[in-house]
Amino acid sequence: MSSSNASNERPAWVAHHFDTAGQQVSSAKLGMWLFLATEALMFSGLFLAYFLIRKLHPDMVLVASEELNKAYGGVNTVVLIFSSFTMALGVRAAQVGNQKSLERNLMITIACAFIFMGVKYIEYSAKIHHGLLPWNFFDMEKAAHHSAALASFEYTPMFFGIYFTMTGLHGLHVVIGIGVLTWILIRARRREFTPDNYVAVENVGLYWHIVDLVWIFLFPLLYLVK
Amino acid sequence: MSEYVFLNGKRVENPHESHHHISPVIVYVAVFAALLVLTGLTYAVSFANLGPGSLPVAMLVATMKASLVVAFFMHLAYEDRFYLFMFLTSLVLIALFFGFVLFDVNAAGALNDEQAVGVPRLEEGLKASETAPVAGEVEAPAPDAGH
Repeated sequence: MSSSNASNERPAWVAHHFDTAGQQVSSAKLGMWLFLATEALMFSGLFLAYFLIRKLHPDMVLVASEELNKAYGGVNTVVLIFSSFTMALGVRAAQVGNQKSLERNLMITIACAFIFMGVKYIEYSAKIHHGLLPWNFFDMEKAAHHSAALASFEYTPMFFGIYFTMTGLHGLHVVIGIGVLTWILIRARRREFTPDNYVAVENVGLYWHIVDLVWIFLFPLLYLVK
Repeated sequence: MSEYVFLNGKRVENPHESHHHISPVIVYVAVFAALLVLTGLTYAVSFANLGPGSLPVAMLVATMKASLVVAFFMHLAYEDRFYLFMFLTSLVLIALFFGFVLFDVNAAGALNDEQAVGVPRLEEGLKASETAPVAGEVEAPAPDAGH
């Protein structure tokens, strides 16, 4: 092991407790995938709650889900899929060292996240306006005025409970996503990433893709019950 | 520096070579197009009036979309298989979680009846609470003096 080859030089960004750059990168990815596994477990509890509610009250879920706007839900699905696409292109730009493309794709991804939250704001406002809120906050009078069918089921507040909890936790992830993507954009602008050192971009990308994954399941379950 | 370098528990022969898989842009475009087509399919399924079949079909389409995202956008198709193993482990745990809870919800009522255990089924408990006032009214006329 006495080779003095240039590739053996230790890059400045490798922390002292790692033997090689590859070891540092794979450790970072290992931690990220472990975190993604816990994210899947966390959301699984809410999905199971949804399936039980749907099993126990199929007619109520069918009527209540018709209150959700399929067009807004569909637009948000396309926005998130597109942002996942630009995020993947951003990681690729970091891999090949295309600085301009990296910054542009990160900015488009952040813009999509804001569009998603904007549409969500419009949707939430309509629900709040009609008194369609979770559990005790559900306004049966307003709901009955809005739709008699909705108020004919005793457990309608349960559907809006699971709707707000699931989309709320997902929306929180989108907001956190805006934060970490902005952090990565700032670091990208400081030219901190190179074709060898881009694992932070990749890990934030993995996080953003899992946000998209959760929505891929939420959309048909909440909006397209029929 | 130690003599050997290990990544995810496996010894690496050439630790100083970097080997990132870089997908061509066309792969990402193709995956994006496929995701849009499958989203359209999800929409179509919801208007096809499949009845009880609509949930499994919608979940199948969603799983296909999720697999595309995980394999190509998240690079799991090219990564060290250890990450796939970890991710699939969480899915196995979720399957256990769903399996046991749904089995319990489906079967507990019948099993309790069989053993004559007085635990109300969830559905029956809810129905009983809905119909309770009506039942009270029917029985009310007889012991009227009690009021």
